[in-house]
Amino acid sequence: MDRFFDAVFLGLSSGAIYALVALGLVVVFRGTGHLNFAAGEMATFSAYIVWVVTTWTLFGDSALPLWLATIGGMVFGFALGAATEVFIVSPLSKKSPLAVFVALIAILLGINAIDSGRWGPPPSEEIDSLFPNDPDDFVRLFGAVWRWEDIGTLIVTLAASALLFLLFAKTKIGLAMRAVASNPDSSKLVGVPTKLVLAGSWGLSGALAALAGVMVAGSQAQVTPTMMFTIFVYASAAATLGGLDSPIGAVVGGLSIGVVENLAAEFAPGWVGQEMKLSVALLCIFVVLFVKPSGLFGTEKVERV
Amino acid sequence: MSLLEVEGLRAGYGPVNVLHHINLSVEPGEIVVILGANGAGKTTTMRAISGTIPREGTITFDGDDISSNSPEHIVRLGIAQVPQGRGTFPELSVEDNLRIGAYTRKDGEVGLDIDLWYETFPRLSERRGQRAGSLSGGEQQMLAVARALMSRPKLLLCDEPSLGLAPLITRELFKIIADLNSRWSIAVLLVEQNANLALHIAHRVYLLETGRIVASGDAQSIANDDSLRKAYLGY
Repeated sequence: MDRFFDAVFLGLSSGAIYALVALGLVVVFRGTGHLNFAAGEMATFSAYIVWVVTTWTLFGDSALPLWLATIGGMVFGFALGAATEVFIVSPLSKKSPLAVFVALIAILLGINAIDSGRWGPPPSEEIDSLFPNDPDDFVRLFGAVWRWEDIGTLIVTLAASALLFLLFAKTKIGLAMRAVASNPDSSKLVGVPTKLVLAGSWGLSGALAALAGVMVAGSQAQVTPTMMFTIFVYASAAATLGGLDSPIGAVVGGLSIGVVENLAAEFAPGWVGQEMKLSVALLCIFVVLFVKPSGLFGTEKVERV
Repeated sequence: MSLLEVEGLRAGYGPVNVLHHINLSVEPGEIVVILGANGAGKTTTMRAISGTIPREGTITFDGDDISSNSPEHIVRLGIAQVPQGRGTFPELSVEDNLRIGAYTRKDGEVGLDIDLWYETFPRLSERRGQRAGSLSGGEQQMLAVARALMSRPKLLLCDEPSLGLAPLITRELFKIIADLNSRWSIAVLLVEQNANLALHIAHRVYLLETGRIVASGDAQSIANDDSLRKAYLGY
């Protein structure tokens, strides 16, 4: 059983990162119907910014604390996301959805080139974890090792999703975001500033990505240009599995993908192992989507004909 | 002073001009109906007034020149539009549809208004938690009207509310619009193809043909003018 809980917990903590990035994808998809292919690179870029900020010494001799730099990084991520919407996605989507897709891929490659050119090659950009991560920073529960860093990641993700849920369900801004997603033309007619709402959705997505980026970088103790590549693949799979318009779906999708891949790798090391675990997760997604095309928690289009 | 004064309005889509020099007005508390066939420019007129398409000419509302204002600003000034094809938010619940209708308001009485319109439209009250997309056409039209009223407008624009509705439902809807007008003195500008029913509730009528106003007058005289009726209303 120890092995089981070890694998489950490892899955939950890596799944929490997928979930956080997936949440950002869902926020954007709900608002504009686009999948933000550049989300992973926005995360990496913001993590580099956080690293740069932590190297500054502002108050006397002491460096800026990481948590403060992380908040700064999230503000930067917000600006990056909002600017992407205002200057690229919004003008292009009037022409063609395919143009937006190409532009987002271009942003992905562009940011990656900047990262590699400016800061690479690794290892150089060392960064601390937001949570205690010395070798002895763990507790034992059900015989399994629960590292503080992993618990912290999990708590941050759950808190972020709870806040998002409240935002969408309880606030006027959230209502406006849902309205713009449902019917942009009518949103204008009831006085919702749709452009501002869309920029805000992309900004929120960028801020979530930045937070995920800092946690990923912290877990590997440095920022690297390619650190978000596979995580983005997992996150987009998680968002699809949960239903692209459902924040709860993104969290459940992310966590379950993390758990399934780690259980598969742990208990079928011979034919799954570390290399094949993504395939197992993707196979599960295929089965789910075959049965329920809108995803686990996604909204099925209701339309009376 | 007229509540709404439109002078020399021209509007269209891209290079195509649909409206040529439209003049019309709506007095406070009045129901004005614009009648016209398909393609006459009824919807374009509505969109030009609510600011959702580019337009030329002067539009004055309640003393303010709104000719170049954004739709958001025009709603805030007190014009609410019920767009053609209802324009409800299908994925949102009935109650959320009403809430978003009050987006421009900052007072604390939104809940009171929701209750008020639930009384006026009891079917909506029964379905308050249901998604708008699952309502029948008639219910959706009622929801679209109630949603527009949530902004507490001085002028309600209705774009062909009878479209796709059974005659009985249309009659009920028009009766409600007439009641709203007499009870709350909300002015109404309504465009319709369905001349017969619309003439019943109208105070004044404009006839629109291929982007031009070809006749106007009070509802009674238009209804009684045989030549106009035969030429433009087809009955």
